[in-house]
Amino acid sequence: MEQLLEMAGKVSDKAEIYSVDVRGDSVSFENAHLKDIDSSIQSGVSLRIMKNGILGFAYTKNLADREGLIQNALDSLKGGVEGSFDLPLTKDLPSLNTYDPLAETLSNSAMVEECSRVCEILSRKTKGQINISASRSTGSIRIINSSGTYLSWKSSAYYLSPHILYPYSSASLHRVLKSKGFAKAADEYLNFLSDTYDQSLKEVNPEGRNLKVLLLPETLYVLIWRLQTATSGLSIYQNISPLAQKSGEKIFDERLSIYSDPLNDSLPHARAFDDEGTPCSFFPIIEKGALKNFYCDLYFSMKLKTPPTGHGFKGSISSKPAPLLTHLCVAPGNKSISEILKSIDRGIIIAGALGAHSGNIPNGDFSIGVAPALYVEKGAIAGHVKDVMVAGNIYDTLKKVAEIEDTVYPSHGGNFPAMLFDNINVTLKK
Amino acid sequence: MFEILRAMISGATADYADIRYEIMRETRILFHGRELFHIGSNTTDGFVIRVLKDGGLSSIAFTRADDAETALHTAEENAALIARHIKKPVEFGKTDIIQDTFLPDIDEDPRQISIDEKLQLTRNYNSIPLKYEKVATTNIYYSEVVREKYFVSTEGAKVREDLITTGLGGLITSKDGTLSQNVRVALGGSNGFAVLRNQEEEFEKRTAIALDLLRAAPVTGGTYNIVLNQDLAGVFTHEAFGHFSEADLIEDSTMRERMQTGAHLGNEALNIIDDPLMPGQLGFYCYDDEGVKARQVSLMKQGVLVGRLHSRRTAAAFGEGLTGHCVAEDYRYAPIVRMGNIFIKPGEKTLEDLLAMLGDGLYILDSKGGQTSGENFTFGAQYGYVIKEGKIRNMIRDINITGNLYHTLKNITAVGNDIVLSKTGGCGKGQLNIRSCHGGPHILINNVVVGGM
Repeated sequence: MEQLLEMAGKVSDKAEIYSVDVRGDSVSFENAHLKDIDSSIQSGVSLRIMKNGILGFAYTKNLADREGLIQNALDSLKGGVEGSFDLPLTKDLPSLNTYDPLAETLSNSAMVEECSRVCEILSRKTKGQINISASRSTGSIRIINSSGTYLSWKSSAYYLSPHILYPYSSASLHRVLKSKGFAKAADEYLNFLSDTYDQSLKEVNPEGRNLKVLLLPETLYVLIWRLQTATSGLSIYQNISPLAQKSGEKIFDERLSIYSDPLNDSLPHARAFDDEGTPCSFFPIIEKGALKNFYCDLYFSMKLKTPPTGHGFKGSISSKPAPLLTHLCVAPGNKSISEILKSIDRGIIIAGALGAHSGNIPNGDFSIGVAPALYVEKGAIAGHVKDVMVAGNIYDTLKKVAEIEDTVYPSHGGNFPAMLFDNINVTLKK
Repeated sequence: MFEILRAMISGATADYADIRYEIMRETRILFHGRELFHIGSNTTDGFVIRVLKDGGLSSIAFTRADDAETALHTAEENAALIARHIKKPVEFGKTDIIQDTFLPDIDEDPRQISIDEKLQLTRNYNSIPLKYEKVATTNIYYSEVVREKYFVSTEGAKVREDLITTGLGGLITSKDGTLSQNVRVALGGSNGFAVLRNQEEEFEKRTAIALDLLRAAPVTGGTYNIVLNQDLAGVFTHEAFGHFSEADLIEDSTMRERMQTGAHLGNEALNIIDDPLMPGQLGFYCYDDEGVKARQVSLMKQGVLVGRLHSRRTAAAFGEGLTGHCVAEDYRYAPIVRMGNIFIKPGEKTLEDLLAMLGDGLYILDSKGGQTSGENFTFGAQYGYVIKEGKIRNMIRDINITGNLYHTLKNITAVGNDIVLSKTGGCGKGQLNIRSCHGGPHILINNVVVGGM
């Protein structure tokens, strides 16, 4: 990498090398039987250069042809993409515990054993079909640039994701376990899945529209995704964010606080720097209902003439860094999930969302199919409902939150609690 | 190349091994509004080894040739581990051993077009919506993916096939006050660069829709009879029905009981086919990533399930014939069962006939993404119209529909005569398939749940 930086430095004003190596193994069970074991050993290198205020970019899977990589980056200068920002000189970052050495030696055989154990426990407790996947990954990132930054990051992760499927459906109850190394699934966790499934197994056909809606941590991303889009430097620059002029204003219920916490190394993939080498920090988006910040990478900081916030991340080796709000948390409330359930006279629990990507996301609109949709009556789960849609706009929905759960769980998109609303439109099939 | 690959798996102790090597060249251009955000061409490559050992099947993807020995060893260990735990050993359906090179016949090879010309074309199209005051921004891309694939197996197969995919499109966002709306443009295909030329009218048409949506009313939630246009009929066919014609998705599911061949699942107006061999269509290929020759599969005939899509493993597990539908996104993945070009066969009704049959209801158009979960599906429409007494009335927006596969198949009561197949794809069944192609004619469906704001 150092040699590549030196070579790139000779033909450009500024240069940055990003390299990644990842080793991963995954085990999957279907219908409580081992189905697949797949492995992957992947690497990649990307190069950004700036010359005369123009940005060039190239990538490859290995460094067999350094000259070719540099030539691709030089060729891309011809397009004239603006690139007049400074590459950061980053050092003296907080030390994070992101790597569990035992993850390196965790065998596929051990993951198969754990999945078998979980299948056996869940199969004893419930009649639903059990599908499980477990995965282990270890990886490293290195970033060096012509400003003098030399950063490296090593991480490990273990995920376990059991699903209990409803009959004749792929809709399932699920909750993922995430840790830096192997962790045995606790009884409490498995009981939640099996108990909730059993209570909701019966298909019911409730009537009426005035139903409360409870989003489980697993589906809260549907709402948060819209907020992520609206607070991105890209959306602000493109003038499509409804929040562009609302910094500091109270836009949501005052019980809502939403923040990015990349330094929290209790979970996998904590980061002290982003994929451009900019330091990461605790970063509030919503504080007690008020809009606090927009987030940026180096490019959109340049465009918006604001300081970078440490949110430049790459989707893959082939993409340039772009603003991405990672490590999200929603602050917990003060009611347990059982207290929240008891407060519902009639309602729907959104345990799975279909089509979260298909609404008008920049506008804050959502309109999703719900599968599974659990039905709650008089404070208890009474079954599940088919053909349910819920719809709304987050700038109305999040203005008034009925309850927030007192515990957060690692979920798709962040660490979230369950959240109850009485202002979401529910459509049931007649 | 074949000899290098053969050497990489020559040390296999497994009953069967194959290796796929791909060189992938991607060219991408991206505009955010008037500004060019990205331009460049890059080449990457990688390998996937699969082994079948004692009835266990496993795969490994890797990017460095030096890792080949470790990779083969890991895949064999994993296969042996599976073999020790499974009740029924994996078997492969028998296939002809193919030794062939297939290079597609295309209209203008994009590799021969300069990047300056591609940039100019993209810039010209991008400038069309940006002429309008109420167009807030655009996200318009050019994409070209050239995959040079080599496949070698211990059975003796040696196949090279190139897949060349071009795309030009993106999002047009209109804005009025705090209300923003967006509409997609999607041009492209598998048969060269020529399909991207002379498309100014399409950009004008899509821009007009984005602007009209600013005056449209949100749809009112409820249960409606609806007419879907060709793109949405294709999305329904792909999302709701097609995925459950993929044998790997139903193999270990309770849905398998209902998806038995011979089951009367749909209205007799329905005939559904998947055919990867349709020349010029986005989903075209000759051989799948197991070296099996692709073939047309009739999936539904007059409402009766008559076929499904297979890999070699699932064909053996179901005791059915090979279809050549086991495809990987690229060198990072082992192949899985995928659709090629899936569509509803056209009937005899015109759109006017269908709207007349509809009477009062909704006419909804163009996909905004879809998703399925077993028998449940949801997808969005980019825009639509209220229909009164068979006539098109006011425009509506924010439309998402949900439904149950089996009920909906029965509720498709009429099929149009005007088939259109999609020009860009992006199915995300664990891996992205940019050549996933779907389509059909206009269709009339009764009793559909529409989510409303």
